Order: sequence, then structure tokens, then C-alpha cells
Amino acid sequence: MRWLKHRWESRMDSEFKYHLESLICDYIEKGMSPEEAEQRARREFGPINLAKDECRDQRPLRWLDNFLADLRYARRSLLKNPGFSTAAILTLALGIGANTAIFSVVYAVLLKPLPYEKPGQIYSVEIVMPERRAQFASIPVTVQAFVEWRKTVTAFESIGALRPWECNLTGDGEPERLGGARVSANFFSLLGVPVARGRGFAADEETPGKENVVVISDGLWRRRYGSDPNVIGRSIDINGRNHIVVGIASPALLVPTGTILHPMVSFAPQIDVWKPIAPTSEEIKNESWDHGVLVRLKPGITPEQGQQQLQASLNAFVHAQAPDVNTELIPQLVPIREIYTGKVRLRILLVFWASALLLLTACSNLTNLFLAKFASRSAEFATRIALGAGRARLLSQTLTETTLIAVIGGALGAALAKYGAALLSAYGPEDIRRLSDSHLNVRVLLFALAASLLTGLVCGSIPSWQSRPTRFRRVLVGVQTALGTVLLVSAALLLHSFVNVLGADRGYQIERVMTVDLSLFGKRYSGPDSRVGFYRELTEKVRSLPGIAAAGAISDLPATAGSTGPSRAIFYSSDTKYDTVVLARPVAMIRAVTDGYFAASGSALHAGRFFNAQETSEVAIISQSLAKRLWPQAAPSDVVGRTVRQGFVQGPQVTVVGVVEDARPGAVDRDAPYLMYRPHAQWASGPMTLVVRTALEPAAILPAVRGEIRKMDPNLPIPAVRTMKQIVYESVSQRQFQMMLTLLFAVVAVLLCAVGVYGVVSYSVARRTKDIGLRIALGAMRGDVMRWVFTEGMTPVAIGLLLGLGAAVAIARVIRTVLFGVSPNDPGALGGALLVLLLASGLACYLPARRAARLDPLAALRHD
Amino acid sequence: MLILKVAALRPIHGYGIVQRLQQMSRDALQIRQGSLYPALYRLENRGWLKAEWKQTEGGREAKFYSLTKVGRQQLEAEKEGWKRLCDAISLVLDTD
Repeated sequence: MRWLKHRWESRMDSEFKYHLESLICDYIEKGMSPEEAEQRARREFGPINLAKDECRDQRPLRWLDNFLADLRYARRSLLKNPGFSTAAILTLALGIGANTAIFSVVYAVLLKPLPYEKPGQIYSVEIVMPERRAQFASIPVTVQAFVEWRKTVTAFESIGALRPWECNLTGDGEPERLGGARVSANFFSLLGVPVARGRGFAADEETPGKENVVVISDGLWRRRYGSDPNVIGRSIDINGRNHIVVGIASPALLVPTGTILHPMVSFAPQIDVWKPIAPTSEEIKNESWDHGVLVRLKPGITPEQGQQQLQASLNAFVHAQAPDVNTELIPQLVPIREIYTGKVRLRILLVFWASALLLLTACSNLTNLFLAKFASRSAEFATRIALGAGRARLLSQTLTETTLIAVIGGALGAALAKYGAALLSAYGPEDIRRLSDSHLNVRVLLFALAASLLTGLVCGSIPSWQSRPTRFRRVLVGVQTALGTVLLVSAALLLHSFVNVLGADRGYQIERVMTVDLSLFGKRYSGPDSRVGFYRELTEKVRSLPGIAAAGAISDLPATAGSTGPSRAIFYSSDTKYDTVVLARPVAMIRAVTDGYFAASGSALHAGRFFNAQETSEVAIISQSLAKRLWPQAAPSDVVGRTVRQGFVQGPQVTVVGVVEDARPGAVDRDAPYLMYRPHAQWASGPMTLVVRTALEPAAILPAVRGEIRKMDPNLPIPAVRTMKQIVYESVSQRQFQMMLTLLFAVVAVLLCAVGVYGVVSYSVARRTKDIGLRIALGAMRGDVMRWVFTEGMTPVAIGLLLGLGAAVAIARVIRTVLFGVSPNDPGALGGALLVLLLASGLACYLPARRAARLDPLAALRHD
Repeated sequence: MLILKVAALRPIHGYGIVQRLQQMSRDALQIRQGSLYPALYRLENRGWLKAEWKQTEGGREAKFYSLTKVGRQQLEAEKEGWKRLCDAISLVLDTD
């Protein structure tokens, strides 16, 4: 740069020189003496330096020159005040870092397009049954409806179905329990994610007898088969049956897991095996509302048209089958994006807004710092303006300085965000899909850059407008306090909610209870007696181990199952006509339990008795809310002994022998489902969860329990043993995630507030040293001085607090859905936030106040 | 406009422009010669003039200015404008 400028200058010089010399020559030729000629020439030429200056203003890269000069100046000024620079850069790095890290999550989870072909055309179908709306907002689809739709509906390019499938993988190596799914043959092509190797399913593989083929996940292929391409075509043993591996799914395949597709369809947390559905004519008649359905709209057809076709087809078909059931089922198309983001969107966006508030707090802190800095340089600015510097030049210089700080802070923030994003994706809740994709990419970095430049410009230009900086700094302190209050109150409400959720009464114990998911499949367990015998023997053996208080098993653990698993309509034994009453009867989730289950889970009995080891007649224990729903007037003790029928009006009479406390899901985010417990001998489920209550810490007993299971069946996969506490903590992990981050941001915001208060108060004390000294000399007591300083410092804080509290209560009303057991104006949260902020800002005032009170009046009066 | 006019004839250096202006206006236009240069630089900056360093007849290096395409258009436009102004003024003056 410098040589360029140098060259430019020297050329201008020689041009001027040439002109003058030519002029002089001319005059000499006209007969003047050289001296005279030179004088004449210079007079005609005019002041050379003025002309040069005017030329310099025309220099093409003039702005760059100015900018570089500003930059040099800014660098010097930063290095001269390392304290100020560090404070400013750190403040900003925290704000930008937090914001950018959260933005990377927002991008990965909410904004990034789903890895499907034209994902906007894919929808999930669920059904609203108006009569059951109070109990289930919507229900999944029967395989029957799916088959019918595929035959009659034309609005879609393809219609696919999927349902959970539990797999025990045995043979070659350690038996393993895997998450699987039964899917229609077009599943992979519907999503537009073809298998990576081998082939997908052929349409005729949906026929019973031909369905024993599987596609395995890329992860399973690498992990268990060492990426061996020859695994394609091989037969593997799943659930005691041979299946041919026909393909390996793409590593990028994203499929619904857990209950994200529908709260009543529960997939494993990870899917490793896909097998075609192959409904037998028997199964097609079975009315199990347990399938997820995905559709891809034809181009040019609206979701409404698709929905109408589905509705017409479904109802025509249902009415033909059951003419007396008077209902209109309403299928609904839910965009596939909604499946992945719907439930977490609010939490993530709230965290993002919290980080934005933190950035705002950081900005006002930064503006405050700049105001102080520029105030101390006001004399310098005045001198320069007096000497003829343009205001635009001054502004561009201060802006360069603030932007330099902003960019350095932003870069540091981006570095922080890189680690932050890595931490978030590693330790964030596993049930937020695609959270692990959070990392810095171009978009995220652009976001950070834009945020820092904007911050630099805003924070840098505010000080130069301000004619009354001291007053404005107090306003900023108020703003900061208000922002801090909002964050702190939100964090406190979330924390209180979190504590409430952890401590909530779920209807079962979570301390010292461990669980093991087991699944019996294959020839050995094909008869119900073998399954019943297995679990009876296992629970007895485990019970006899030292340190075990109780042991039992249940088919679907209430903490995780929610409304998934088998369900049946419950009829009064007086009901006679199915079609006319079915919609008026409650649907209960059926849970098979062994006799030790209730003792192990610690569920409270309201009336009647628990199951005995041997039940002679058909019996059931029902949950309290189901009892209330069936017999609203009866006390629990009256319910005991009454009979119901399960599933059909002709079904066998089942006697209610007990009423137990409702069992709510681990996250307590939904109401307890109606539950009907049946003895395992009468509902011989294969998959069961062993529930063991221990006298000691569960971890100590673990090897012994494993050993017992191994002894009984070495081929049975034993997945990770989890304590009930783990399960509950995992189920509230999204809540925890939101709470922790908001709390972190709130703490940082409060620190920034304290720094802001401290800065303003100590500046004003320093400026008025003489004044204070004089007052002390005239007899003011030290307490008076302290009080003055405090009043001055705390007034903006108090105003900010009040405004912040108001805003926080308003915001809390909006975010009510993420709170639990806490009212938006929870006195604990409000009071706690108030106390913390008052303490922090009080301390920030106290330090300069004490300095003021200890002033030596003589020294103070000599202060310049 | 005058500078453009002068530079339109052939590439010319600053001193030459002053000479030509004085010569063409028969010494009626006397400018402070130093103030020519900021104007030249501005015109160059706007892209109406382009400059190159060439040898003069006396064998010295000098900066020669010549008109660019844009500059030529600009000159035409300004000439047009000036003529219209002159016409208008003379119209007013000549009306009795």
C-alpha cells in the first residue's frame, strides 16, 4: 500500500514540476531573467500545496487510505487501554458466542432442509376421531386403512406405512437387541433415499411368506459386520427366524424414532433393521390403530385435496364395514418437517431468544463502555473539530474502532461457539433429532459475522449521537437490568418447573429401581406358557438375590410407554351392541404385569388387592382415572369386584380386583393414560421390562441380575440396564437442556449488569471526587456519602428491575406451556431473581461507594 | 467542458491544456494554473479522461490526458446543454 501511495505522490510531483518548468522556460524565452520568470510562473500557478491537497482528495483509493489510518489508530487505542479492550472484547465474545452456538442448533434442527428428496411434499397421516378427541388428540392408522388408501386414493405419488418392530439378533456373535421397523416396500423410494448397497424391497415382498428379507442400517453393517459387502445375500437370525439381507441403507437415512411420528407409535431410539410389512388377511381385519403412514403428494395437488381424498376413502370404507358406527374420521396431513421439529421448536426458539437477550445485554454493556471511553476523549474530539476535522471523519474513526473490537470479539465468539456447538451436540438431549449436526458452517459463521458487525456499528454510532452521555449511561444500566431480570426470571421459572417435574408424583417410585428390557421370540417362546414360565422363574430367581427388595415385570414401562402399546376399548358387562356403544367407551392401554410388579414399582393401591402368583379367573387392576371414567360416582372400594369386557362386547368377563394410582409418563408432560393391568398369565406378552427394586444402589446388584438372565437363556440379548432415575432424567432432558442454557445465559447477563452498574457508578464517583471531598470536609458523614452513591447507582437498577419484572411476567404467560406446576408470577422465581439482581448490583455499587466514603477530603480537594 | 474539449483533439499534458485554452480563447480566459490539476484528477476519477505517461517533444516524461468514450459522450451532452442555454439567453436578450 505504502509504495503505491509513494509512487502516486512522486508522479504528481513530477507533473507539477514539469508544468512549472515549462512555464519558466517560456518566460525566459520571452526574455525574462530566470528569477523573474520563476516568480511570475509561481504567481500564475498559485499555491502549489493547496493544489496538491485538492488533488490528493481525488486520489482513487483515498477511502482505503483513511480506513487504514483509522485502523492503525484503532489498534493503537486498543493496545493503550488493555483493560478496556479486554472487557469489551470478552463481553462481546460471550454474547456472540452464545448466540452463534445456539444459532447452530437452530439451523441444524429447525432450518436445515430434511435429507429427503423434495421434503416439502412428504406428509405424515394421522386420524382425528372426534368422539375420542378428549382422550387422544389423534390416533395412528390401521393397516386396513392403509391398504384401502393405497388402492383408491390418487392424490399421492406414493403412500407408505411403517410400524415399530422389536428385533433380537442372534447367531454369529453376541445376541443383540435392535430397533427395527416394518415398512411398506416403497419406503426408501418414497423418502427418496435409495439404499447404499444391494436393493430395496420389491412390491411382492409384502406378501406373507416372502417377507423374510431385511435392509440393515449403515451403522449396524459397519459395527457388526465390519463393512463386509458380502453380507448382502446372507441369512441372519432375527427373532428366531432366518432373514436374507438384501440391502444396506444409506448412512444419511433419517427415519422417525421414539414417538416423534405419533405419540402412540413408539419406535426404538435407533432403527437398524427394516423388514417389509406383510399383512395376512387375518391381520388386515384386525383393527389395530398402530401404523404410521407417510405420503408423497403428486406435484400440483394441494394437501387439502389429498386430505379430502383420504377422508372420503376412509369413511366410505368404515361405514361399509360397520354401518352402525356413526362417526366421521378426519385424516390429517402433517408436514414431515413438523414431525422432526414440532415438539422441540418452542424450546429451542426460547433458548435462542434467551441468547439474543444476552447479546442485547452485552451490546448495552459495550455501548456503556464506549460511552465512558469517548466521554474521556471529548476534549480530544473538540480540539480536532476545531482544527477542521469533518464530523464524518470522526464518526468513521470511532466506528472503525468499535467495529474492530466487534470483529475481534466476534471471532473469539465464533471460536467459543465452535466449542459450544460441539458441547451442545455431544451432551444435548438425544431425543432432539439432528441436534448432533450442530456445528459451525458457512451460514452460522455468516450469522456470527453479521451479528458482530451490526453490534459494532450500533454500539459505535450511539455514543456519537449522545449529547448527554452520563444520563444515557444510566438509561443503559436500566435497560441492562431489565434484560437481566427477564432472563433471570425466565431461568428461575424454568428451574422451578424442572424441580417440580423431577419431584412430581408419577404414581411409581424412581429411587433405587432398575429396569431391563427383555424380549422373548422364536420357537422356544412360541407358546404363551413358555413366556409366562420364563418371567415367573426369572422374577423369582432375581427376588432371591441378596440386596433385592422386590422384582416384577411389565409389558410397557409407564415411564417411557405413555400411550403406546396395545390398547382396547373397555365395555361394561351390560353392553350388548358393539357398534352403537364403542365410541362412547374409554380405550385403555393394556399392560401385562407379573405378580411382583407393583411391589417393585412402588405403585400405591387405592382399593382391592394386587395380583396373586396364581389367578384362577380373568382379573384386572385398573388405574384410578379409568375407574373414574367408567364409574364416575363410585368410590374406588365400590369399583372392586365389578366386571368389564375388554375389546369386544362378547369378550369374557374380567373382574376388577384392584384400583391403583395413575402412572404418568416420565416427562409428566401428558396426562396419565387409562391403564388396565392384566396378569401376565392372561396376557402373555413376549417383550417385558424387568423392574427390580433394590435395597442398595442398583449398580451394585447389576452383575448378579445379568448373570441370572444369562443362565436362563444365553441367547437372550440384554440391552443396557437403566435405573428408573436415568429414564426419568432422560425423559426430561429437553426441559433440562432449555433450563440449563437459559440459566447460564441469565447468570452471564447478571454479571454483565453488575459490570455495567460498577462502571457507571465508579465513573461518576471519580468525576465528582472534588465535590464529595468538599462535602466530607463540610461535615457530611461517611454514611451520607455511601447513601448518595447508592441512591444514584441503584435508581436506574430499580427502574430496570420493575420494567423487567413486568416484561418477565408477560413473557412467562406466553411460554406457559413449557412451565410445569409454576404460575407465571411465581413468587419464588420473581423474588429469587429480584434478590440475586439486587445483591449483584448492590455489590457493584458498594465498591465505588466505599471508595467514595473513604476519600481523604484533603487529597480529594487537591484532585484535579 | 473546456478541458474536455481541449483533450478531445489529441492527448495533451496539463501545461499544454493551459496553453491551448489561453490560445483558443485569445487570452480572454486566464485561470490560476494550479487549480487545473484538481479538476483534471476529478475528471480522471470520474472516468471521463484517461491518462498515460509519454515522452514530450523535448524528451521529458509528462502525463498526457485524453478523452474516454464516456468523456466524449459527456462532452457532447454538455455542449448541447451549453448551446441550449446560450440560445435561450440570446433569445431573451434579442427579444425587443
